[in-house]
Amino acid sequence: MDSPVLGRINNILSHSFVDGPGNRSVLFLQGCNFNCLYCHNPYTINFCDACGVCVASCLVDALTLADGEVTWDTAACVACDTCIEVCPNLSSPKIAVLSPEETWDRLKAYGPFISGITVSGGEPTQQPEYLKALLRLVKQESDLDTCIETNGKMCPEVLMDLLPELDYVMVDLKAFDPQIHKDLTGQDNAQTLETIRTVSEAGKLHMVRTTVAPGYTDSMENIKATARYLAGLDPDIHLRLLRFRPHGTRGVAADWGSPSDEVMDGLVAAARAEGLNRVDRSM
Amino acid sequence: MTQTKIAYPFEHLETGLTPDQVDVFKSLVREVIENPNHLEEQKRLALTDAAFKTLPYLPVSDDALAALGSGEICLLGEGPAPYHPRYVAPDYEKLLREGSAFFDLAPASDLYEAVTSLLTVYNYSPTSGAPPFIGKLDELLEPFLDGLTDEQARPVLKSFWTLIDRLHPDAFVHSVLGPQGSRAGRLLLAVDREVQTITNMTLRYDPENTPRDFALLAVGNAMQLSKPYFLNHPLHEAEWGEDYIVASCYNIMVLRGGIFTLVRANLGEVAKRFDGTLEDLLENHLPRLAEIQIEIINSRINHLVEEVGWFDQSIFIKEGLLDPEKFTAYAGVVGLNELVNKVMELEGQPDAKLGHAEVANQTALKIISTFKEQLLSHPSPYCRGTDGHVTFHAQVGISEDEGTTPGCRIPAGTEPELYAHLQAAAPIQSLVEGGVSDIFEFDQTAKENPEAILDIIDGAMALGMRDLSLGSTDSEYVRVSGYLVRRCDLENRQEEKLLRHDTSHIAREFFNSQPNTLHRRERQV
Repeated sequence: MDSPVLGRINNILSHSFVDGPGNRSVLFLQGCNFNCLYCHNPYTINFCDACGVCVASCLVDALTLADGEVTWDTAACVACDTCIEVCPNLSSPKIAVLSPEETWDRLKAYGPFISGITVSGGEPTQQPEYLKALLRLVKQESDLDTCIETNGKMCPEVLMDLLPELDYVMVDLKAFDPQIHKDLTGQDNAQTLETIRTVSEAGKLHMVRTTVAPGYTDSMENIKATARYLAGLDPDIHLRLLRFRPHGTRGVAADWGSPSDEVMDGLVAAARAEGLNRVDRSM
Repeated sequence: MTQTKIAYPFEHLETGLTPDQVDVFKSLVREVIENPNHLEEQKRLALTDAAFKTLPYLPVSDDALAALGSGEICLLGEGPAPYHPRYVAPDYEKLLREGSAFFDLAPASDLYEAVTSLLTVYNYSPTSGAPPFIGKLDELLEPFLDGLTDEQARPVLKSFWTLIDRLHPDAFVHSVLGPQGSRAGRLLLAVDREVQTITNMTLRYDPENTPRDFALLAVGNAMQLSKPYFLNHPLHEAEWGEDYIVASCYNIMVLRGGIFTLVRANLGEVAKRFDGTLEDLLENHLPRLAEIQIEIINSRINHLVEEVGWFDQSIFIKEGLLDPEKFTAYAGVVGLNELVNKVMELEGQPDAKLGHAEVANQTALKIISTFKEQLLSHPSPYCRGTDGHVTFHAQVGISEDEGTTPGCRIPAGTEPELYAHLQAAAPIQSLVEGGVSDIFEFDQTAKENPEAILDIIDGAMALGMRDLSLGSTDSEYVRVSGYLVRRCDLENRQEEKLLRHDTSHIAREFFNSQPNTLHRRERQV
């Protein structure tokens, strides 16, 4: 079995302009504790259970099943994503299993071009030991800053353990209303709200994001309540409203429409009217 | 000798227009004057050009004639016998400080007088048409903002900027900003954002000293307008001294100097015929090509200086706006990509492509450094601005260059991942002091995060990149190799409508020959 400090990594992006301040390299960790109706990367939710369905589907024999594990041959892979499409387990066989040192070896060449490293997912805090070791290593080996994108649902101990290694935290607040949150994600949001408060008090809350999903989070009440909560913590918290887009989603959300500009602008204005100074939206 | 076509069917390198070609000439004249897609001024320019090209070309050796005929050496439309320099970099600061007797301009005492003097002198550019360099505008205009509020200065700058574009509708007209931030610089960026002209622009960027907010403003413009270029100021200052400027596309020269001529070697044409070893290329072929290129360049400089007597007759020299001691000539190059890939093929490594394989990148460096060394090993007359030798330049390409990649670039649409692209391009760029650029386009998420683009610029400059052309895949403007074109003008060109911008005509043809110029990459998680 793998040693616990190994990370399971779905993908590494060399550059991204939407995952924190400046240009960032982004690490997407496998595994998530939510199961959102509109998940845009559903293949990052679960760890592979070696069922072998993808192995049989691979058109170029890039996958093999042996000793209870699926192995991915990166050289043979043609990135057609058939394996991801057929996976019955919301997972992917295309996972790199790396130690923090091995991960840093892949990231460090990007150093001259970036402000920092963002760890996203999946839910990055689902691999807390690896995450902490990696963030610490980045800090030791470079001047790069560190950021995570999280759904905020984690034990306070995990958060307190990670915070010293982090410069920025971006929290996705899926919905302010606990019932809507549960309907959307399968989980309640008490810990998420607590995470937002703790990170804000630590001065490390880069942004809170809420996806405006039709029928769930596109109501004035939801956005106003979100803004009131955040403004109560700090009126300068940056809230960004993300327009739901169906691409990448599966199941019911694939048939949802995208909120119009008018709806998005109306929600931004409503949030500002609650005393939150920095509210904007995605294009 | 065989008849050699240059641009017009009646042109002849050795004899000029012969009696049997007079009817061909006449029909071309008629075609020009009846062309419904050109304005009168554009027709006049075309007629002048055709008349000029009835002359025989300057006498050169048989080998040089053959290279001109095959296209291995190209004169870039300069014609038979130059009567003016290709580019000049007038000292506009002196003009504003001292005025000009010939142009009947007093020293400028306020912003209105300053822009009036500049617009006047632009109109008399001693080059082929529009002025290729219009000044370090922020430095020039900053002193005239004293006592004016932004609200007072802005309308003047807006009308100045509009007039430059309307009077000289040409994307080879180049302005320079930076490296310092200034009110004038900020206002000009804001005005350009508003007016959205075709006029070219470079920010001389110093990662240590250019104010970050000023640089971010410039990034914002680049994402909207595909300009300014970001030029590595510390690198160029070290090589050229403080007083270097940028003209035309991305051409580096000294202030008060100029470029007599730009003659280029088309390595893509060389590649078509070459079937030897890399060693043979480096030791025999390239030295011979360099010798021919220098022969042609030198003949043109001598003609301009000695036969035409340009230094003796130029008003710009007499008025002290230009200095004969600061002139040089460009030896340009295009199609490095094609030659590298051909060599790799001949060396049995057809899959090793420029930008994608280290061995190909190293081969590119060998070719470029050897060729440059050979060019600079020959003396060139009157190139006193650069120690009696030519200046090496990565030429941006012309519309006829089918299948030949501009300058030293990796072909558009086939570039490797961003950082790999920068890492491959930087050592090549570092060898080209006279101007070189690579184009980087980002998706629309860059518009909301200019800090990210500046991170990439800083990383690129630390690698030794000289010049970055930055843009967004959905911007109003398209960087066509070295100059800008409005997307809507490209569409109109296809429909053969009247176009105000001369460069839009060239651009359409360029797109036909380089169909991958517009491309985008998609994000994958």
